[in-house]
Amino acid sequence: MLFSLASRNLWRNRRRTLLTLMAMVVSASLLILALGVFSGMFEDMLASATEQYHGHMVLAHPEYHKRRDLFATLSETIVDAGPLRETADMIGRSPRLRSFGLLSRGEQTQPAEVLGVRPDRERRVTALHESIIRGEYLKADDSHGIVIGEGLARKLELEPGSEVVFVTQAADGSIGNDLLYVRGIFATGDSRNDNRLVLAALPWLQKVLVLPGQIHEVAMAVKDPMQAEAVAAGLNQRLPSSALVLDWGELLPEMREVIASYDVSRMIVVVILYLATGLGILNTFFMSVMERTREFGILMAQGLRPWAVRRLVLLETLLMGGIALLIGVVLGALMTLFMATVGIDLSGYITPVTYAGGTILPRLHAVFALDNFTVPSLMLLVVSLAAGFFPANRAARLDPVAAIREE
Amino acid sequence: MKFTAVLILILCSLWAALPSPARTADLDLQTLIKDVEQQYRGRSSHAETVMRVKTAHWDRTLEMEAWSLDRAYYLIQILEPPKERGVATLKRDRQIWNYLPKVDRVIKVPPSMMGGSWMGSHITNDDLVKASHVDEDYTFALLEETDVFYLIECLPRENAAVVWGKIIYKIGKQPRVPLEIDYFDESMVRVRQIVFDKVQPVGDRVVPLRMTVLPLEKPNERTVFEYRNLEFGLDLEANFFSLRRLKQR
Repeated sequence: MLFSLASRNLWRNRRRTLLTLMAMVVSASLLILALGVFSGMFEDMLASATEQYHGHMVLAHPEYHKRRDLFATLSETIVDAGPLRETADMIGRSPRLRSFGLLSRGEQTQPAEVLGVRPDRERRVTALHESIIRGEYLKADDSHGIVIGEGLARKLELEPGSEVVFVTQAADGSIGNDLLYVRGIFATGDSRNDNRLVLAALPWLQKVLVLPGQIHEVAMAVKDPMQAEAVAAGLNQRLPSSALVLDWGELLPEMREVIASYDVSRMIVVVILYLATGLGILNTFFMSVMERTREFGILMAQGLRPWAVRRLVLLETLLMGGIALLIGVVLGALMTLFMATVGIDLSGYITPVTYAGGTILPRLHAVFALDNFTVPSLMLLVVSLAAGFFPANRAARLDPVAAIREE
Repeated sequence: MKFTAVLILILCSLWAALPSPARTADLDLQTLIKDVEQQYRGRSSHAETVMRVKTAHWDRTLEMEAWSLDRAYYLIQILEPPKERGVATLKRDRQIWNYLPKVDRVIKVPPSMMGGSWMGSHITNDDLVKASHVDEDYTFALLEETDVFYLIECLPRENAAVVWGKIIYKIGKQPRVPLEIDYFDESMVRVRQIVFDKVQPVGDRVVPLRMTVLPLEKPNERTVFEYRNLEFGLDLEANFFSLRRLKQR
């Protein structure tokens, strides 16, 4: 009975209800869209921070984590050893050897970080193969090919096909050196990678460094980056003490902070936007309750208890919140879908920004995350109820006799 | 070669100390330096050297041939082991190039790598360059004189781009050869010592034929240079020390 009364009351002043409803729908759907874009930005950042270089987790000798000690190596066989192979949700495991040295062409010499990788394995962990702007990624059987960061290539005036010399200190004290051929040039947007990083073949680097069968680390990718910490903890229990897995949160502590701050900033945005919406709802219902003072008086005179009056008004606001939520979520989802599939390219206006080890790409791009729907939805209902509370209270406390006489 | 370099730099540095403000020790220093200079001045030199390097990670023995002219030019070429044969280092003034026969390229050592180890030894590229300019970068004082040796302290001049906080030379009186050189870092902690021994006559000179570099923070490590054939007063010109020569040798 109360429900049908409430729904009928809602449509008595159609224009006012629709306007309020519209405000609620717009704020809810825009909020969902904004949070989706927000999440997209963080996902870009986390992805760039992990998929450009570290992966989600890195296994290495503890001394290598600490000091990048050339001699703190592991056997390459650890890549396919039990603990790593048997971990569920592991997408890729890439063995790597790292060497800091000089890349030289003609008169130009630049410091470089060369990662010896197995290309078919590396591309399952990092996404550098997707950032190739000229030439192509390493092929599995290429012994002397490299892909090189765009900034480094520019400084050395390298193009795909160019020849370049790599010089470094080998593990036997000799000068490790060899000729390399540029196959491709990548641009990640992260200047630290683009100005320094070189990918080469693992067997080649093992030979140059005189570290046969040895690697410095295993970079790993998992299905859900947010689970990396738990997976790393599980691995560390099973691995010998000479091998330690760090997750991206430990490798990039600033990134972890950024992600953690997201939940807080999301709440702040939701609260601010809904505060405005809530005031609108509050206004609408105060108006509607005041207009109906006489009506409530009659209802109460006929025996409607005060709690029922309160419930009636609350039901009206809740109903409105429910409708707004339904439309808002659908609209928000549609807009998010558009931003997720099409997005907006801003590369003409801004350049990539690197922050906390992650790169914010010059684009607006949304992702779907359950929390971005549930948090605005639940909050909308809470706000509706809160905004309805005062008008409902006022209605419930009316004195029937005085109310009936009200003009 | 390195040995020759050190010898040359010692006399250069001592010589450079001469015109500095009058001190009580001036006369002694002057005499000392004159003696040392007369004994060691080789405008040019040629040497065959064995370098033995012992570190926690490698033991390596390199045989090499070296030429020097004044203090500005060195050319060092590795003869053994076969894997590294032909690898060569050229120093001209304050710059260093390495020649790598495997890739047939000459690579100039950039400033960022000057602190790096030279050929896996306890000598850095900086040592090759800066050591020969100690006279320009340091001031000198006689710390102690005994019947057997002189102790000379070198402190960096203001604004000098140097790696050491202090260097102390111990120079023997009879024969007049360096005995020890101690290197101190900026916090005046002794971090490296070079010891000279096997003093023998070479031509009309007397020189120590062995030089041992001891990194003091790594007590089990050392680099030993031993001279096999040492000649002074060769007929070398500056253009001998060219990038082209680096490749040809």
